[in-house]
Amino acid sequence: MLEVHDLAKRYGNVVALDGATFTAHEGRLVGFLGPNGAGKTTTMRCVFGLATPDRGETRWRGNPIDQPMRLRFGYMPEQRGLYPRMKVGEQLSYFAQHHGLSGRDAKTAAARWLDRFGLADRSGAKLEELSHGNQQRVQLAVALVHDPELLVLDEPFSGLDPIGTATMTEVLRERAAAGVGVVFSSHQLDLVENVCEDVVIIAKGRIVAQGPIDELKRASGRRHLEVEVAGGNGAWINSLGDVQVLEQRGDRVRLLVADTLDLPATLAQAGRAGTIRRFSFEPPALSDLFMEAIGEDGRDTPEVHR
Amino acid sequence: MSRARAIWLVARRELMERGRSKGFIGSLILTEVFVVGSMLLQATLASGENQIRVGYVGDPPAALAPAMNAVAQRDEGRVELRTYVDRGAAEAALGTDEIGGAILPGDGPDDPGTLLFKAEPDDRVVATVSEAILALRLAEAGVNLSPPAVESIEPVSAADQASFLLANVGVIFLFISIFSFGYWVLSGVVEEKQSRVVEVVLATVRPRDLLMGKVFGIGVLGLVQLLILLVTGLIAAGFVGRIELPATTLPTFAMLLLWFVLGYVLYSTLFGVLGALASRMEEASNVTTPVSFLAMGAYFLSIFVVLNDPDGLVARIASLVPPAAPMVVPMRAALGAIEWWEVVISVVVTVLFIYALFVVGGRVYTGAVLQTGGRMKLRDAWRSAR
Repeated sequence: MLEVHDLAKRYGNVVALDGATFTAHEGRLVGFLGPNGAGKTTTMRCVFGLATPDRGETRWRGNPIDQPMRLRFGYMPEQRGLYPRMKVGEQLSYFAQHHGLSGRDAKTAAARWLDRFGLADRSGAKLEELSHGNQQRVQLAVALVHDPELLVLDEPFSGLDPIGTATMTEVLRERAAAGVGVVFSSHQLDLVENVCEDVVIIAKGRIVAQGPIDELKRASGRRHLEVEVAGGNGAWINSLGDVQVLEQRGDRVRLLVADTLDLPATLAQAGRAGTIRRFSFEPPALSDLFMEAIGEDGRDTPEVHR
Repeated sequence: MSRARAIWLVARRELMERGRSKGFIGSLILTEVFVVGSMLLQATLASGENQIRVGYVGDPPAALAPAMNAVAQRDEGRVELRTYVDRGAAEAALGTDEIGGAILPGDGPDDPGTLLFKAEPDDRVVATVSEAILALRLAEAGVNLSPPAVESIEPVSAADQASFLLANVGVIFLFISIFSFGYWVLSGVVEEKQSRVVEVVLATVRPRDLLMGKVFGIGVLGLVQLLILLVTGLIAAGFVGRIELPATTLPTFAMLLLWFVLGYVLYSTLFGVLGALASRMEEASNVTTPVSFLAMGAYFLSIFVVLNDPDGLVARIASLVPPAAPMVVPMRAALGAIEWWEVVISVVVTVLFIYALFVVGGRVYTGAVLQTGGRMKLRDAWRSAR
């Protein structure tokens, strides 16, 4: 279990983290969400000792994270970077050795991961000779090459094509299934909703929501009601009382309602108005939860260049 | 994993990547060609200068050749005398530059004869031949006219001259090596920062260890290059046989290598630390300008002041100033103008300075190397690392 406890960090006058606390469990894919500048990258950097928090600490499996422990972690920073003129295979092996693998094991591991990503024949090529997508794959391989216990990836999906996204998803799921802790940040909320079991949402340096996506949805007092009534004039919704119309197009209407809404009564009312073509009552999407969680003032946090 | 292993991994990467690079091999070959080439060139030019070939029409007096050689020897030269049957043969030899001048002996005791040239009379040939012939004639006339013997109170031996040359050339090598390999450390630091790979590296390696490994790895390359230059220089000198190497050659070389190590570590650390403040190579050159001036200042001090007065006050003080010592001390040592205990003190002071530089610079580097977005101030870098 990765525990982030009460992390605080300031850069001059800019507050990057303001008492962030959350946990992430092994074996589950954890999406780390938040607007730009909310503190995602700073949190990850604190885990890897790349930033020193003003307050608070990070723990892994109950122990404060230190340098020897970090060798068993894998990291993919937001700003991708490897040695442009170093050969791909040697580069992977080099980083594997920094994580404590012997020279021989590092070579084997490098070859295995290159093979996994279909880059076995590019082992002797310089990184800069590879396509952008393949460079991304090598970057991921660097994070994975030493079979880490914990993977922390900053925006691993950004810039990936659908095939790359599928590969990334597959690898992350496989690692989680193997008992590895996997935490990654992303702005692609639909993707996170599909891929992750848990989310942690951060805004202005504080954690505003965390937990399994299903639970968060269930806990939300709101539901989305989507109804399509042919022949109706749409006036029937006025009798529903306290609802918010999100979208109304032709016969179709999308409403934000309370989870206590009397469904049978609503269905009956719609039926009286015309022929029901569609009637769906669902928890809000992750993107709705996200917007709700960060609130109005969390949306325009200034970008911190660090 | 131990810190030593991390440092070694970083150093080995630098060694392998840079050692195989075209830049390193190219510069090695180029300097090698320059060093050996200039020695060979100098040797051939010099041997040409010191050999005079003179023709003589008819049978020369037996004493002429020894007399001319006696004169030429004062300049460490030699004279080769060739004989020709008549003036036509001598002119032909002059035409093909086989000889530098031809002596046409006179018809009697009153006729001094002629010294014939192809075009411009060669002053050395004129002087040598004239003096020799004059001496012979005076001897024939029974006059023994010897020039006064030449002596010096503080004679400058050939070995002293060679020491002087060695000191000069050695310090030039030292300066170039320190500068070029220090610059590699600078560009390495900036490249890592610019390509952002430093964030991946620092997730497992401590910043100080990364800097240390880099300085170490590139330093080994520098040492290898300097060694190769010195050894091939020695071989070339031995092969040419022109420069008589003084007995101090090996101690001087050892001194150069020692001070390369100290000077390189000092300057490359400075370069690396300040380079971390920059986010692009263009900025890096600006940030490190003061260090470049410092290095050049030390070099000029060494060749303009210390060389002329190697055990003067300035030289003695400069030997105790760490940024200057790497170029001043080996110069003084090569000239035999430094006591061994002075060297020991210099080394100790410089090592202490380097240690302090690592402590202070390491913190600045740590604070600066992860910050992107423009050039950083020294103060901010110091503060942001704790």
